[in-house]
Amino acid sequence: MLAEVLTQLALVISILVPVSVIVFIGRERLARTRSEWRSRLRTAGPVIAVLIGVLLINRVARQTAPELSRQVGFHLSGAFYELEGEFILIFQSIQTPETTAYFSTIYVYGYTFLLIFPVIAYFTLSDTRIFRRLLTAYALNYAIGLVLYILVVAYGPRNLMPGELMERMLYNTNPQYQYLTSEVNTNTNVFPSLHTSLSATVATFAWKTRSEFPKWFPIAVVLAASVAISTMYLGIHWALDVVAGTMLAAACVSLSDRLVDRWSVAELSEQFADRLPWPQNQE
Amino acid sequence: MNWDPTSPDTGVSRRSFLAAGAAGATLATSGCVNSVQNVVGTAANGQLSLSITTLPADADRQGIQIARQLESNLQQVGIDVSIDMRSPSELLKAVLIEHDFDLYVGHHPAGYDPDFLYEMLHSSFASEAGWQNPFGFTNMVFDTLLEDQRRVEGAQRKQLVQSVLTALAKSKPFEPICRPDEYRVASTDRFEGWGEANLTTRHGYLELEPTDGVNELLALKTDSRPTSNLNPLSATMRERDTIIRLLFDSLATVHEGEVQPWLADDITWTDVEPVDGEQGPTLTATVTLREGCQFHADERLAGEDEQLSDEDRHLTAEDVAFTYRFLEDTSLGRAPAPSPAPRYQSHVSAVDRVTADSEYELTFSMNASQPVAKRALTVPILPKQFWRGLVDRRAADGEFTAPQGRWTAATGDHVPPIGSGPYQFESRTEEDQLVLTRFDDHFTRRDDVELPGPPIDELRFDIDPSSASAVKRIADGNADVTASMLDAYTLDAIPDSSDIEQLHHPSRTFYHIGFNVRNAPFSNTHFRRAVAQLLPKQAIVDDIFYGYATPTATPVTDEWVPERLTWDGEDPVTPFLGSNGELNVAAAKAAFETAGFRYDDNGRLLGGY
Repeated sequence: MLAEVLTQLALVISILVPVSVIVFIGRERLARTRSEWRSRLRTAGPVIAVLIGVLLINRVARQTAPELSRQVGFHLSGAFYELEGEFILIFQSIQTPETTAYFSTIYVYGYTFLLIFPVIAYFTLSDTRIFRRLLTAYALNYAIGLVLYILVVAYGPRNLMPGELMERMLYNTNPQYQYLTSEVNTNTNVFPSLHTSLSATVATFAWKTRSEFPKWFPIAVVLAASVAISTMYLGIHWALDVVAGTMLAAACVSLSDRLVDRWSVAELSEQFADRLPWPQNQE
Repeated sequence: MNWDPTSPDTGVSRRSFLAAGAAGATLATSGCVNSVQNVVGTAANGQLSLSITTLPADADRQGIQIARQLESNLQQVGIDVSIDMRSPSELLKAVLIEHDFDLYVGHHPAGYDPDFLYEMLHSSFASEAGWQNPFGFTNMVFDTLLEDQRRVEGAQRKQLVQSVLTALAKSKPFEPICRPDEYRVASTDRFEGWGEANLTTRHGYLELEPTDGVNELLALKTDSRPTSNLNPLSATMRERDTIIRLLFDSLATVHEGEVQPWLADDITWTDVEPVDGEQGPTLTATVTLREGCQFHADERLAGEDEQLSDEDRHLTAEDVAFTYRFLEDTSLGRAPAPSPAPRYQSHVSAVDRVTADSEYELTFSMNASQPVAKRALTVPILPKQFWRGLVDRRAADGEFTAPQGRWTAATGDHVPPIGSGPYQFESRTEEDQLVLTRFDDHFTRRDDVELPGPPIDELRFDIDPSSASAVKRIADGNADVTASMLDAYTLDAIPDSSDIEQLHHPSRTFYHIGFNVRNAPFSNTHFRRAVAQLLPKQAIVDDIFYGYATPTATPVTDEWVPERLTWDGEDPVTPFLGSNGELNVAAAKAAFETAGFRYDDNGRLLGGY
């Protein structure tokens, strides 16, 4: 089942990505990338390494963190429910089988595409800064998200109001997706919504790069907004998770600006070498 | 009880656990006064506030909806309510072990015999941690009735059980809501005989009929706890013990409501007249074990030479006698206070003494009549060498305390488990999969034994995220059967196909609301009754269970229920105060006022009782 879902996802992405590359990026940039990709990779190498490191830690921690979370975390589902009540049920008014299908598709495929495409798009820019900032922001999202997941134990609305959400809960209409989501997450990790924060991060960068990718900007904004709404529409997140996700995105984008280019690997290794207690040149 | 406040086994101090919980609870109720043990509080404005502990929908789709229905009705009568969702093991820990709850929504496994009520309600268990009396209920009249029904049988016993049920319906330490219909689905292409298979029992798995060439059963479970813990004593890691019954043998087994010899070759009952109405034994059972039975091969059974031999694996009367002693006190008398196992207490409390007369013969002195005494013979038999060693190692450092339900014997994961049952542990991936393989040396494999043995080489339990996805997986032909009971919402959507068979068994299990009667306001019977009247049981069955449940006023099946307690479209003792599921708020508030509670001018129920 999981394999089936993953294959489907890979298939959809493998169609969407090349099409968008042609539509949004343009031949000229691609040509330049062909000649410059080595040097760009070298510049971005450390950031890529950091992101991969964070993703690996995240992967391992998703298995072990729930236990730690139970011990040190705050149980907040009750508090969220008390604060916002049945707010997310307002989406009842737009509920039709079609909207449910739309938001389910957005939640799974739209989101994955939204995350993958800008990585490719920004790599085609000669100046790698925006590419490195994007990856840094991704890493920050995951890292801060993980810490919050450990501190906050909360179940999403679908776990509290299954009756009201019956018709549009993702896992009722498309139970196979639960294999995918339970593979990457546990059901007490809802605060903040990483779907929202990563999508908002992408949308913010799309705005910053609107002169380079004018057509991508409106698409990214619509997709990001749809992802944020889908998490509530499908009963996966509380509105508070979405608000927190948006704030997390803002923080990560602005932090990425401060962090990128702050240190260079060459300087760092020099400084480090200077501090080593033993003589550098043994004779 | 002399409990050590810190539990060295988990590495987390209980205090810090509770402190974190209390901090969470304080946040959760924003401004309410909370103490650690007593979550019930009074808000600054004097309003009574309490918390309903329940499972999230992922673990139990129906429970959370009952909780929210109750929440809504409690709020309408002016009580401040919060909902506290816990994972299955955390909920059981809070309710059974820590007793840290106000009221909870639960799904009780019940038992084939009403004597499980003895364990649930007898005062002697009120301060214990485990499945025994989690409510903290104490009542002399109940105790007498519960004890008396154990000593008689037939019509006389039925009458006493009915008295217990009548008293229970009045005083309500817990309130039964309904018995859900138990459905599973199976794929028909690889196995036959699903119709008879009752997968809540040991026999259910042993009577399966694989078609030619099929050597593996793939069963889907929605509860992942068995992949992380297979300790037969654990209170929190399971409600029912079906998998434990495949891994462990018991002297007798329950099949179609009857107790039959299993590990015992023969059981002979002898009546003993109690001396002058004293509480002496009333029955002895002479048990002859099947010869030559073995525990599963495990290095931990090896003797002092550290080489595992057949001799070490031998299951004898010593192991059986040890098991009963151990369940009664897991510290084996070495801790300052005894530490009864957190389950099987109504079973072992029926046994006064067990003596091993020879390698294969035992005598049980029972203080109960046959129906109850037979039930005592259904506990899992444990290897003495292993569990004894566990106690020895813990007691070796001199300062041995064994807080009930919280020390290694009850909390350890016991993976791999050492039993003697028809299947043995093969492997597991936590949260994902548990694989058992046929135990070739099991006695049911012998030619001269007429009992069903393991029909296939491998039993694989895959953890599936939900009932809906499990049904889909069976329908797609990617698994054989759903081992967990299906959530009611999926039942109408089961595809109508000849490749799928629905397995349906009447269920003894029941949904209920449990009250913590140790603390106000639930210490007040009148308050509990008023709360029970907020439960629209019929509407819960119709709307939450889609009709796949039977509303009930009692926790046992129909044959025990006196006529005055039978369901007649309405709860016969505490009918819902409203109609068609809609609460009559004025009538409900009046019920609380009659119970002695007061309201302020804003209609809030005051907590200053």
